[in-house]
Amino acid sequence: MKLLYDLGQAERAALDAAGGKDEEILYCIPFEYEGDRMVQGFMVLTASHLYKLCNGALTNVWEMRRMSEFSVELLYGCGAFMAKLDGDSVQLCRFSNGTCATRYTILAHACDMVAAGRTTNLPTSDEPERYCPKCGRPFIRNTHICPFCQDKKKIYTTLWRMTKGMRLWIMAPLLTAAIALCLTFIAPFFQEILINDYILAENPLSMDNWQDWILMFLLVSGAIVSIDVLHRVLNIVQSRISAVTGARFTRMLRTLLFEKIQMLSMSSVQKKSTGDLMGRINNDVNVVQNFVVHLLPTYFAQFVSFIVGFILIVTMSFSMGVPMLALYIFLPLPIVVFAIWKFRDKMKLRNRRAWMLGRRTNLTLQDTLSGIRVVKTYGREQSAIDTFADCTEKQSRQNLSNARLFDLVFPVLGFIMRLGSYLILWHGNLLLFHGTMGVGTLNRFNAYTNIIYAPLMQITTIPRNISEFMTSFGKIMEIMEEEPEIADVNMPQHVTLSGAVSVKNVTFGYESATPVLKNVSLDVKPGEMIGIVGHSGCGKSTLINLIMRLYDPAEGCIEFDGINAKEIGQASLRSQMGVVLQETHLFSGTVRDNIRYAKPHATNAEVIAAARAANAHDFIMSLPQGYNTVVGEKGYSLSGGERQRVAIARALIHNPKILILDEATAALDTETEKLIQDAIDGMTENRTVFAIAHRLSTLRNADRLLVLDHGEVAECGTHAELLEQKGIYYKLVMAQARAALEKTGGMM
Amino acid sequence: MQEQALFDKRISIALTPENAQFSLSAGGLLSLTLTKQDGTVEEFERVIPVRAFPITDPDLYICIREPDSRKKGKGEEIGMIERLADFDEQAQILIGQELDRRYFTPEIKKIHSLHEKFGYLYFDVTTDAGRSEFIMANPTGSFRTLEDGRVFMYDIDGNCFCVPDAARLDKASLKKIEIYL
Repeated sequence: MKLLYDLGQAERAALDAAGGKDEEILYCIPFEYEGDRMVQGFMVLTASHLYKLCNGALTNVWEMRRMSEFSVELLYGCGAFMAKLDGDSVQLCRFSNGTCATRYTILAHACDMVAAGRTTNLPTSDEPERYCPKCGRPFIRNTHICPFCQDKKKIYTTLWRMTKGMRLWIMAPLLTAAIALCLTFIAPFFQEILINDYILAENPLSMDNWQDWILMFLLVSGAIVSIDVLHRVLNIVQSRISAVTGARFTRMLRTLLFEKIQMLSMSSVQKKSTGDLMGRINNDVNVVQNFVVHLLPTYFAQFVSFIVGFILIVTMSFSMGVPMLALYIFLPLPIVVFAIWKFRDKMKLRNRRAWMLGRRTNLTLQDTLSGIRVVKTYGREQSAIDTFADCTEKQSRQNLSNARLFDLVFPVLGFIMRLGSYLILWHGNLLLFHGTMGVGTLNRFNAYTNIIYAPLMQITTIPRNISEFMTSFGKIMEIMEEEPEIADVNMPQHVTLSGAVSVKNVTFGYESATPVLKNVSLDVKPGEMIGIVGHSGCGKSTLINLIMRLYDPAEGCIEFDGINAKEIGQASLRSQMGVVLQETHLFSGTVRDNIRYAKPHATNAEVIAAARAANAHDFIMSLPQGYNTVVGEKGYSLSGGERQRVAIARALIHNPKILILDEATAALDTETEKLIQDAIDGMTENRTVFAIAHRLSTLRNADRLLVLDHGEVAECGTHAELLEQKGIYYKLVMAQARAALEKTGGMM
Repeated sequence: MQEQALFDKRISIALTPENAQFSLSAGGLLSLTLTKQDGTVEEFERVIPVRAFPITDPDLYICIREPDSRKKGKGEEIGMIERLADFDEQAQILIGQELDRRYFTPEIKKIHSLHEKFGYLYFDVTTDAGRSEFIMANPTGSFRTLEDGRVFMYDIDGNCFCVPDAARLDKASLKKIEIYL
């Protein structure tokens, strides 16, 4: 995210004049509002002063040493940058929320540091921009694609590269479509012969040889029929090929995309929502497929037919010496395009109105039906009925008026579209009466006109379809081109872990402006159980994420048996870790499949042993189909405690050296917790265990407790040691004891 | 510690010209001197007015609260003004200024251009705060039309623009947005 904007000349001059010439600009961030006006302003922070430049002039200078308590207030439609000057609150500037709120949050943080006399290691931000740096327009939501600045050539070349191996298949529909269209041009030619030489011939049997005459007649009619048959066969072939290509293309693109998403690091996947990723795999792939397989051949064929038709008509009319005929086709063209464009606008407005009213009806319906209990308990049935009746009435009135208009519009539009034909018929008939043109020729001419006009109806949708394709394909490419942040080194080591872990001076933040962990160090011996305690948001889960290497620390390192985690292959590392999270996800499948998820070839005996160790065997045996019971989305629904025990069994099956329990019992009642606690107690032997727990009683067996406070290690030691220190841990224990006491007291 | 905070929670009182004295703070913001029922006087270096009904009744039920701060956390409500008109003119101006600062909603006078591209709407308008260009995503959710003809528009950054009466916009401007109303 940009924190150092470039100043304009006027601003620079104003700043220099105010004495800011020799000061290094640390931050320069724009603001948009001053009083009730919109302005173009900048806040400039140097080591000693904060300057405010507004519309190219300096309006304020603040001395940093007199300032304190910088903050950002989010107002309605804007935000304010506030501080205290000699203890009095002042407003420094007002800015547009969306563009600058995050920047000012960072600036406030930095100002506090500068005011305290620090000028090094000021916060930066690697949070992505939401606006295109080139043109200033916003990116497409959730992406970094600017539709205006997108490299179109790159998109086409990538697409071309991707189609390797199926190019023939993709080209085939283009070819068949073009051939089919050319056939439609040949048909009128034979019709012309048929009409001119046979149907309208003045003396049909005057030919020298009547057998030849019959033969020719049969040939011509045969040609007309077979062209039609061929045309239809080609159509069938084309749609077959399209279907095959479409399916193959979609499969290829989806697989590629899914593989890539699986390979990406946690941090890049987490930035996107599940819905967004699913959208890309489903909808965007469909849009691209549709464009490549269906729209492209159609556009190509129509382009070819337009060109061929145009050439044919022009040559025909010139060869007959009546160039006027060709002109007639194009004379009404502007009217046709204008009419389509005009009616489209009107229809769009109407359709949108109808759509919005329909949407309102749906919303009302959904709202009232899902809240039917509330409606009934408050006796508001009549008002619900009234609201709904009002919605449907408005909707039906709009639909009716739309229908009335459209019934009028389409015939008129059709008439206008055919204006060219009418002109040609009129002039052609004149020529006919004068004997300069045959009926068959006129018929052919007319047929060509219709072929040329057909693509015009679609011409308005082309730009939209292309831009849709560009966006969707851009979104797919964005994922394809992302590099996993956490990559294995060139020669990753396979290490058999003993369970020794050491965390060395680790600093880490999801956004670098706000470190979640600051200089955390910890040495863990094999087989030790470490309890991690602290208020929510203090960095407990983050520490665990780093140990699992879902993220890499910004500073410092994490070592397993003295080897830097980055040197160890991710697959090797994770295969020796077991994890139980607060929210357990069971995949659709049987209990057995879920337990052996981490070790797909585990024997039944191993599965049962793991389940026993996790205290899960008993309840699994009481399920209707034992270990073969289907659970997950569509299957048997297990309770929270049962799910958790399956998860523990899953974590145990591959006998991990390091076990991680992240709030594994937080969502459970006391009784279930006891069961799970027993299971956990049984499995901590010979294993290094990291356990995060809110309920401190869960950690009573921990060898050592690590207390985190605002990302720093506050205390570390055994339960007894920490109680003696009377620090944060002592307070937490006391608070929980008191809460428990009050709870039981309340119950009595 | 947390329990203590629960008990210390300030109880909001009705603010009247008798018990609440608003003044301009040294930093140019709003200060409040509050005389409590027991006669004790409490000074607030800075208070923030917040409207309860910013759209339907902007001058009724205005809540006066302390600013949020990193040290003390969320600011608490000190009291509520039922009718701003009850206060003297000077206080009304002071509070009004602070409210204007908070509720920044430029009125659109004219729409110069509006085009839809790649799913976003690009506006170029003249407002009472000056000429402005803004970008809107998802027009269905970003236009809010009220019964009285007012139209609120929210841009991609959450900035808010208002048309006081859509029917009284000039014809060309209205034509550009009527499809979304």
